[in-house]
Amino acid sequence: MTSTACFIIVSRNDIPIYEAEVGSAAKREDAAQLHQFVLHAALDIVQDLAWTTSAMFLKAIDRFNDLVVSVYVTAGHTRFMLLHDSRNEDGIKSFFQEVHELYIKILLNPLYLPGSRITSSHFDTKVRALARKYL
Amino acid sequence: MVDPANTPLGKMLLEEITPVVMVLCTPLVEESCLKNGLSFVQMLSPFCDFTNIDVPVRTASDQPYRLHKFKIRLFYASDIRQPNLEVAKERLKQVITKAGEDDFPEIYSDLPQVNDLLSRHESEILPTWFQFFNKELVRTLSFSDHEAFDHPVACLLVVSSRDEESINRFIDLFNTNKLPSFLSDGAMDPKVLKHYLLVHDNQDGASEKATKILTEMRSTFGPNDCQLLCINSSQDGQTRHKDTPWSTFIKNLMQELSSKHIIPYMEQKIRLLNQQVSSTRKGFRNQFKNLWWRKGKEDALDTTNGPVYTFSSIESQIRVLGDYAFMLRDYELAVSSYRLISTDYKLDKAWKRYAGVQEMIGLTYFMLDQSRKEAEYCMENAFNTYLKLGSAVQQNATRCGLWWIEMLKTRNQIKEAATVYFRICGEDLLHSAVMLEQASFCYLLSKPPMLHKYGFHLVLSGDHYKKCDQIKHAIRTYRNAVSVYRGTTWNLIKDRVHFHIGQWYASLGMYDVAVTHMLEILASSHQSKTSQELFLRDFLHIVQKTGKTFEVLKLQLPVINISSLKVIFEDHRTYASPAAASIKEGVWRSLEEDMIPSLSAKSNWLDVQSKLIPRKYKESNICVAGEANSSNVEPQNDEYKTSTSTGYVWLLSTYMYNAYIYICLYVLMCVYVFTIILSFGRDINSSLVLLEVDFSLEGGETILVQLTVTPRVEGVLTIVGVKWKLSSSVVGLHNFESNSVNKRIAKGRRKPKHSPSADLKFIVIKSLPRLQGFIPSLPEKTYAGDLRHLVLELNNQSKFPVKNLKMKISNPRFLNAGNQSYLNVEFSACLEKKLNVEQSGGHANAKKMLQNVFHFPEDISVQEETSLSWPLWFHAAVPGNISLYITVYYEMENVSSIMKFRTLRMHYNLNFALTFAIYVLPSLDVSFELSPCPSRLEEFLLRMDVVNKTSSECFQIHQLSSVGQQWDVSLLQPVDSILPSQSLFAGQVLSCFFMLKYHRKSSTSEDSNPLFLQSDVRLGPPGNSEALFDVCSSPLADFHDYERLYQGMSCQGNVDFVFITQLWRGNIDSGAPHRPLLFSHHVCHSSLSSFSPISWSVDGPRTIQHNFSASPCGVNLKMTINNSSDAASSVHVKTFDPPSSNSQSIDATASQSGLPLENQAGWFSIPAVNDTKVITTDALAKRITKSVSLESAPQFIWTGSSSTKLKLQPRATAEVPLQICVFAPGIYDLSNYALNWNLAPIEESQGEANKSSGECQGYPYYLTVLQST
Repeated sequence: MTSTACFIIVSRNDIPIYEAEVGSAAKREDAAQLHQFVLHAALDIVQDLAWTTSAMFLKAIDRFNDLVVSVYVTAGHTRFMLLHDSRNEDGIKSFFQEVHELYIKILLNPLYLPGSRITSSHFDTKVRALARKYL
Repeated sequence: MVDPANTPLGKMLLEEITPVVMVLCTPLVEESCLKNGLSFVQMLSPFCDFTNIDVPVRTASDQPYRLHKFKIRLFYASDIRQPNLEVAKERLKQVITKAGEDDFPEIYSDLPQVNDLLSRHESEILPTWFQFFNKELVRTLSFSDHEAFDHPVACLLVVSSRDEESINRFIDLFNTNKLPSFLSDGAMDPKVLKHYLLVHDNQDGASEKATKILTEMRSTFGPNDCQLLCINSSQDGQTRHKDTPWSTFIKNLMQELSSKHIIPYMEQKIRLLNQQVSSTRKGFRNQFKNLWWRKGKEDALDTTNGPVYTFSSIESQIRVLGDYAFMLRDYELAVSSYRLISTDYKLDKAWKRYAGVQEMIGLTYFMLDQSRKEAEYCMENAFNTYLKLGSAVQQNATRCGLWWIEMLKTRNQIKEAATVYFRICGEDLLHSAVMLEQASFCYLLSKPPMLHKYGFHLVLSGDHYKKCDQIKHAIRTYRNAVSVYRGTTWNLIKDRVHFHIGQWYASLGMYDVAVTHMLEILASSHQSKTSQELFLRDFLHIVQKTGKTFEVLKLQLPVINISSLKVIFEDHRTYASPAAASIKEGVWRSLEEDMIPSLSAKSNWLDVQSKLIPRKYKESNICVAGEANSSNVEPQNDEYKTSTSTGYVWLLSTYMYNAYIYICLYVLMCVYVFTIILSFGRDINSSLVLLEVDFSLEGGETILVQLTVTPRVEGVLTIVGVKWKLSSSVVGLHNFESNSVNKRIAKGRRKPKHSPSADLKFIVIKSLPRLQGFIPSLPEKTYAGDLRHLVLELNNQSKFPVKNLKMKISNPRFLNAGNQSYLNVEFSACLEKKLNVEQSGGHANAKKMLQNVFHFPEDISVQEETSLSWPLWFHAAVPGNISLYITVYYEMENVSSIMKFRTLRMHYNLNFALTFAIYVLPSLDVSFELSPCPSRLEEFLLRMDVVNKTSSECFQIHQLSSVGQQWDVSLLQPVDSILPSQSLFAGQVLSCFFMLKYHRKSSTSEDSNPLFLQSDVRLGPPGNSEALFDVCSSPLADFHDYERLYQGMSCQGNVDFVFITQLWRGNIDSGAPHRPLLFSHHVCHSSLSSFSPISWSVDGPRTIQHNFSASPCGVNLKMTINNSSDAASSVHVKTFDPPSSNSQSIDATASQSGLPLENQAGWFSIPAVNDTKVITTDALAKRITKSVSLESAPQFIWTGSSSTKLKLQPRATAEVPLQICVFAPGIYDLSNYALNWNLAPIEESQGEANKSSGECQGYPYYLTVLQST
């Protein structure tokens, strides 16, 4: 498990619809802010890269000091962004793929409006479990 | 591609990397120059930049080329040293601070718009001081010893004509210790080109002396190296800005110095060095030798800075060669020299020099405009090498980075440039801040613009500025960042930006701007408790500092849940409590349906209204002057987990009047208090009464605030919005109308399409009487069965009487109106049976009640400023929740108004935690079971089971009554024997047996008098003189009627019971004031229909004495058959002789022993059980039957017809004569007959008749026949 990791799902309108600090390191207020800043800034790069490849997993696309941003873009241009400090590309890829499945299940919920915030606690628990498993 | 020399980097290089001339001058020279306000170098410098010098140059190659532009840099010898780092930093800091002051945005200028920025040209966006700063930063690195281009190429020795012994002064000048360190420590060749200059001020006298000295100098130092400079200092230090002939003279002097001395000298040196390098280093052999030699050296020298190279070492010479070639624009030669030396330095691990050379290779490639990749690679290599060397060479890294950036920018690789800016950031926070800001602009200017990165780097830069106390810069960067993050949903980012910028403005004392930013972060529910507290504390602090009251249209604290807005007003409908007002209109409507004037009356009312009221307001609601309206607004505080605020809420209302609004506010902590004030526009404050509401909200709390408006005059009232005060200085404002959210107006009689503004508009009409009603002592908690006396208080505070009162109660089973005569009577005593009471009155009343609307007597009216009390009866019929709705209708007397009547609506919810909460607890569970007496006509055995289900209460049983006047109840055994204490304790079970007897109405008039009828049984202690309660009069009878209604359909042949208990007297004193006194439990429809409709009894003598010697004994019996059903029936009585004596005896014993068993299965009366003779007779009978059974002949036979058929009319009785003949004395059981009955089917009884036919065996009837003597 990485010591720092922040996972955010960003809708196609650049609105964060799910956020989770999944690192094992102690939570710090300003760290959470920094993570948002770094991930937000990385959106530019995602925008550039997303159309250059057909793969959904864009690997590590940006970095800030020792924090690396890995991104996975779904077909609907929802972006899964993971900020992490370890290099475990396979794990991250599996993590993204499994989260994608969970996300699709959320989308299948007729009561879920695509692009709205994901509030399901079940989803949250599952994502955190996946993070423990793969990261 | 543009000429590299014309790019910014090219220009910079051509300016910075030029030959340096060291100036050594005597104090008198300075003195004479200072007369003009300039130092000597300052005087000459403007003339050192030659744009069109046009000098032919021939370096290593044989091909000469021409130089057009040339520049030399003049420095005093004392300045030719590495600048003090601290001083340099201080100077840079000043540069930044000054820029901060100049660039600081106007306080009230709008925040920059991103689109606006993008549409502007680069030069407009980029602050101009960046260039200046970068240049200054590069200059801090001048005269480092590992780079030769800052080493002086020539030395200018200047002596004034006023100096004594001028020649000696020249020599002294060069020999002083003031020479730069690298001349003395051997890093540079001390043999530099020397040029001698004599300065003569014409003001000091004629130039003869100067000419004389010049000739002397020429003879000493050589004719070409000496020159005379004549200047003309102004009088009194005044400078006249005129063209002076001296300027051209100086210009010529410097041009000559450059073209005739410096450039040729450099050419010569290049050629010389090139020759040396070629001989020692070029060619395969030399290279091999060099490698070999360096390998050997490797082990010996391993210092961090690498080996020390003196000017005479070949490495230094190559570097000088490269630098000179670069300065003379022979870039090919420069590159080859640099490349040659770079491998050497690398092998020697002289990393700093290596990086410097790499840097120069990159620049040279750039100037050559070839192999761009290589150029960038070299720059990166140099940059990384510098970075590896740590903070000591941070400045070098910075310079290298800046050059690299310029190179990238020239090639439009702006994104890459931004990353280099980011990498430049080192330990110096201030420099990093500037670099980060420049990086952010790179992102902005890149195509397409990378706004996210732009914002992020601005924020980073701002934070760095802040750390260096450059608040104005910090604010400037953050302001730009806000333009990116405006409207973002990335909450943490938005909060941080606004919070910091607000704080910083506050620290500059610009509180107004600070507040506008702080307002943005108030609704931050996503933040932790501590940061929310921090935000709010800072916000309030800043607001306090401003000393002003702010009015904010979008104050986010507390959040007003506009969908909860509810305006409650009263027109003809008035409410006793807010709880009543919150009940759905439909509930009230259905309740009032048959009470208020019918549709025609309503239309009349509308007609009147349309005449009176301007058409414009036709759709508006109506309210009455002097009466409060209120609105609910619900504030919610889920935003803040803690934090706090203080405030007021006003209701904004324009000219006009009257409504309540409930507003929902969310807020914070409990410490602070909100005051809610209803406020109204302009000048009509006197015509309205406003209510202030103070409240506090805890974090995450939601409260409903009720605001009340009371208009005083007629007119139109419009509710505009709500205002509240936070922390006594910030005023939040919410405009209802601007918000098109659906408003639920609770009581509006509305058309489907109703504009929200109309909902908030009220017509205020003249003051009308308004009844206030309440029930003072409605219990909060009681037990089922509780029967009590309540009083409804109706209060008329107006000046007009009201009349024609009507009342309707939603659930008369629980509550109904009593007779006025009950008003002041003592409770429970008034229910007691009185001998003289007219029974019919109660019944008439009950009939009236069933119509549901209670009409107050016509003569009852509520006079002005009086109140009316009216008795009510309450009966907690069932355990559980009870909702009661009460409407009182009344009409106004003497008032000419568009409203003719009003209603008062009261609501009591019996299980709510409101003021009137009543919860009915289970108390006693009473059940009855009936079984017919087999041998008696229309007599039943009644078992009553009572269970006390309460946990602590003790009930005193009082009375059991059957309802109606047809039933006689009597106890089978005294209560004392079952329940000696007459009290039922918690959990106790009581079973009681009664005899129930049908009392025919058709019998004599004497019997029908209820006073003689034993329909009530006293269950109290035997000595109790307490009167019995009258179940046939109001209110018990009324409630019983409702119970009948609710417990099922009423039908004939059923019995209803009322079981009355009282709380044990001992409890009463200790109990609450509203302790129940009396309980009545009504059990209806204890059905008889499951029994056979046909009952009969056999009458006859029981004991006969007969002389059998004379004749057999004939006995006449009479059978009475009763048809209790509603259908005619045919009955067939069959008698048959006993089959044999054996079976007879068995039957007899079976019937005897079978009794207990049957007793369990149902209720069968043991015949003549109270007859003391029974036992002896039975015993005798057994004996006799036994003895008789030995004889094998029947002892008696039925005589007369063995089968009788008869028709029985409904509810009729018939008698059938029977006769037996007894042959011997003994005891006989005359049960060997059977009854077959058949009901004629009739339509109306089809449903309830569960049996249409049946056969019954005879009952035992014992006849004792004795032998008479």
